[in-house]
Amino acid sequence: MHSQQITWNPQAGWTPVKAEPENVSLVFYFGTRQMLACGNRYNELREMFPAAHILGCSTGGQINNSDISDDEIVAAAISFDATRLRLVRQDISDAQQSRKCGETIGRDLRGEDLAGVFVLSDGLNVNGSELVNGLIAEIGSGIPLTGGLAGDGADFTETLVGGDCVPRARTVVGIGFYGSAIRIGHGSAGGWDLFGPRRQVTKSIGNILFELDGQPALDLYERYLGPEDSKGLPGSALLFPIQVHDANHPDSAVVRTVLAVDHKARSMTFAGDVPQGWTAQLMHGSFDRLAEGAADAARQARIGLDASEGDHQFSILISCIGRRLLMGQRTSDEAEAAGAELGADTLRLGFYSYGEISPHAKSGVCELHNQTMTVTSFAEVGA
Amino acid sequence: MHRLVAKQIAKATDATGAVDMNKLAVLVGGAYDEFDRDRRRTDRSMSLMIEEIDAINRNLEQLVTKRTSELRAREEDLRAQNMRFDVAINNMTQGLLLYDSSERLIVCNQRYIEMYGLSPDVVKPGFSFRDLILYRKETGSFKGDVDDFCSSVLRNVGLGKVTHNVVETADGRSIQIVNQPLADGGWVATHEDITERRRAEEQITHLAHYDALTDLPNRALFHEKLKQELAHIAPGEQLAVLYIDIDEFKSVNDTLGHLIGDELLKSVAVSLGRCVAATDFVARLGGDEFAIVQTAVKNSAEVSGLVTRVFDAIREPYECLGHQLTTDASIGIALAPQHGADLDQILKNADLAMYAAKSAGRRTYRFFEPEMDARVRARRILEMELRQAIADGVLEVYYQPCVNLQNNKITSCEALLRWQHSERGMIPPAEFIPIAEETGLINPLGEWVLTTACAEAATWPDDIKLAVNVSPVQFKSGTLALKIVAALAASGLAANRLELEITEAVLIRDDEAALAVLHQLRDIGVRIALDDFGTGYSSLSYLQRFPFDKIKIDRCFVDDIAAPDGSACIVQAIVNIAAERHMTTTAEGVETQRQRELLRALGCAEMQGHLFSPPQPAAELKRLFLSHSARRDAVA
Repeated sequence: MHSQQITWNPQAGWTPVKAEPENVSLVFYFGTRQMLACGNRYNELREMFPAAHILGCSTGGQINNSDISDDEIVAAAISFDATRLRLVRQDISDAQQSRKCGETIGRDLRGEDLAGVFVLSDGLNVNGSELVNGLIAEIGSGIPLTGGLAGDGADFTETLVGGDCVPRARTVVGIGFYGSAIRIGHGSAGGWDLFGPRRQVTKSIGNILFELDGQPALDLYERYLGPEDSKGLPGSALLFPIQVHDANHPDSAVVRTVLAVDHKARSMTFAGDVPQGWTAQLMHGSFDRLAEGAADAARQARIGLDASEGDHQFSILISCIGRRLLMGQRTSDEAEAAGAELGADTLRLGFYSYGEISPHAKSGVCELHNQTMTVTSFAEVGA
Repeated sequence: MHRLVAKQIAKATDATGAVDMNKLAVLVGGAYDEFDRDRRRTDRSMSLMIEEIDAINRNLEQLVTKRTSELRAREEDLRAQNMRFDVAINNMTQGLLLYDSSERLIVCNQRYIEMYGLSPDVVKPGFSFRDLILYRKETGSFKGDVDDFCSSVLRNVGLGKVTHNVVETADGRSIQIVNQPLADGGWVATHEDITERRRAEEQITHLAHYDALTDLPNRALFHEKLKQELAHIAPGEQLAVLYIDIDEFKSVNDTLGHLIGDELLKSVAVSLGRCVAATDFVARLGGDEFAIVQTAVKNSAEVSGLVTRVFDAIREPYECLGHQLTTDASIGIALAPQHGADLDQILKNADLAMYAAKSAGRRTYRFFEPEMDARVRARRILEMELRQAIADGVLEVYYQPCVNLQNNKITSCEALLRWQHSERGMIPPAEFIPIAEETGLINPLGEWVLTTACAEAATWPDDIKLAVNVSPVQFKSGTLALKIVAALAASGLAANRLELEITEAVLIRDDEAALAVLHQLRDIGVRIALDDFGTGYSSLSYLQRFPFDKIKIDRCFVDDIAAPDGSACIVQAIVNIAAERHMTTTAEGVETQRQRELLRALGCAEMQGHLFSPPQPAAELKRLFLSHSARRDAVA
């Protein structure tokens, strides 16, 4: 396997491709909605890499090794020696179709030597939890499934996903890795700290939360955010993620991030389910603890990769937009922390998302995460 | 240098290495803003959180206060409940132990400690089951084998089986122990002193089977034992059942009272007990009826021997509360299997034999004979026929005249009941009157005779009286006097033309009520005659107790009045006594002229008998009146 990084910015365009573009079989690219929406960038990549599957999405910022940027597109061109790929694209009309969409993609990717699946999904019109459940139902829980939901900065207006096509809204793309040579490592961690009292989800429907401890959930958020940050809802709600868990199964704890708020209904829509009766607790982050979380995710991925030190490695880092909102200029701390774990030689790129997909660090069950850093590392062995 | 500053400088530095100070200032300023915002957010969230947690704490404190007071109240309740529980279990009549699944004592009440005289310092919660039994063994309140007992109890508890045992203590008490396994593996043991209850039960059982007065087996036990004996008669042997009825016991009760009567029965019971062998038994069947079962009888002499012993014992004078009493008995004997091997059969046969002994004049015994049964049956048929005859109006009243021995004039006529049976011809009164008396038919029958005869006599010449027999049974009805007055009123017969003939039996029981009736009747003018004089026991004493108008001398004295050493002197004595007391005498059963002459010579006033006239229907009698009066007139 070989990977090389390329970037695009309005001033310089694409940085040149160093070697054998015709051998490149897979291209990942991430950029802001504004940079991708016109479709030109995809067309340019298609021209450069005619034989490759080209996979990308809009973001809330791009990770380029240890840097975070909003003004350039980051991409990676990867050539595999023995690994075969299959790309499946599925359009989705609304969030109700999420599970069915996941099942369709899973069914198309299912194969005897399927070794892993990476998914990019629309970030606003999909119930990520249901999408993951649909995928797992088809490919099985033993296949590593990672990926993320596309972002739209702090705007929450429209997210774009492209898979061998111009990026567009309401699209989900999955790519399957086949064969025995591919190695995939993954890790997911938050670094958020629980704070405040435990609350009970007293009213919710799917991923819409109405009440905590009998009080409107939005009231609670507005109190904690204060008048100034409340103006930035729903984005500013990311400053206080909530962790929810089934009271009978504390290991099931997942962090949920806000996608939208309804001021009239005083409800909040999250990127995953917030089941009624579960326990919820607010979280808050500090720069250092979030960076530690990122390092932890990278460590999990490195250990899980099962590759030799000399094998060429490539990592995709998907981190939650909420983390960036909180950390501001210090966001690069977490990219650096992850980089320190993965090694300076490893090409690392990624984006700030509206949701992360990865197996749970404790339970091993693939889930939709929020407010985490998830790391997926690839290597090819024995070639 | 701080990593962030280095980055900011790097970002503000262009390709030539020149630092854009404005850009740097924006970056640095932005970082400060971010830090300020972050600090403000943190401060705000912390203070909100503290507020929330304070509120939660306050709620918790309130909750704790509330719960604590609830707990205290509950604790009080529990304490009160425990106290009540303690009072309840310590005041139980039963000893109570509660063990847990590891065989340790949890609860032991005061009663248990007292029951076995144990020390409350030793027997207390925590003490093991086995140690408790060992301790009781040491202190003498447990008699059995400790290991056997413990393993038996534990085995049953393990099987979830409720066990009930009764153990006898060294001091003779009966303790019922119930072990009730519990769901948690422990068990409850209750110890109840049932000594008194057992005694009471035994007493009840005894009362159910023994006569309270004599302590002899009662009828129920007698039947039970007899049934057993009947089933075990050895070949060649017999079993004898003796029914013993104390003669005239009722008169003892009536004249001397129940206390004396009871004493007599007790004495008789004791005497009977002395008569029998160890294998025989005596029972009291009720009232004055006793029974003896004699077993292993090899010959009739053995039974006769027993009967003799019984009579000797019963006839022995008894001393009862200062009264010297003599009594006698009627005994009926049935043998099994000779007279039947079935319980009902043998009982019935013994009863029939006793009845026969009574019929034979009491004071004797009879062995059962198959004819007795036939006789009883025949008697029953006769009773039915009598009822039918009364209903059909078949009975008739005949009249037998009584004549003056001096002037040969008819003085009175005795009304006599006659029954002309369609198949058997004339049934003698001696045969059906006793049946009428026993069944009570004598009351309506007597009333009918009275009204019929009164109506008839009202048509006779005024100087001829009417004599009517009255049974002792009629006296008992209590309405005799009323009925006589009614009959007189209905017929218009003058009271002084009616003569009632009564036998000694009316007065034999010293019946004050009967005497009162007689006096009432005498007061209205009715004459009273003593019938069958000389056949009873103490005839002379009756003469003293009631001033009769007439004595009728029984035919037995008349029969042999003409014979040498005959009854002439007795008749003379009766006539003299009667004359002394201003009573008339009538001789019954006069059949010959010789007898008539003798009676007249002895001073007897009247005669009655076939010599003059047999009893006759009313119409015949009227013809006799006419012909006799004509004859007398002719003679005159």
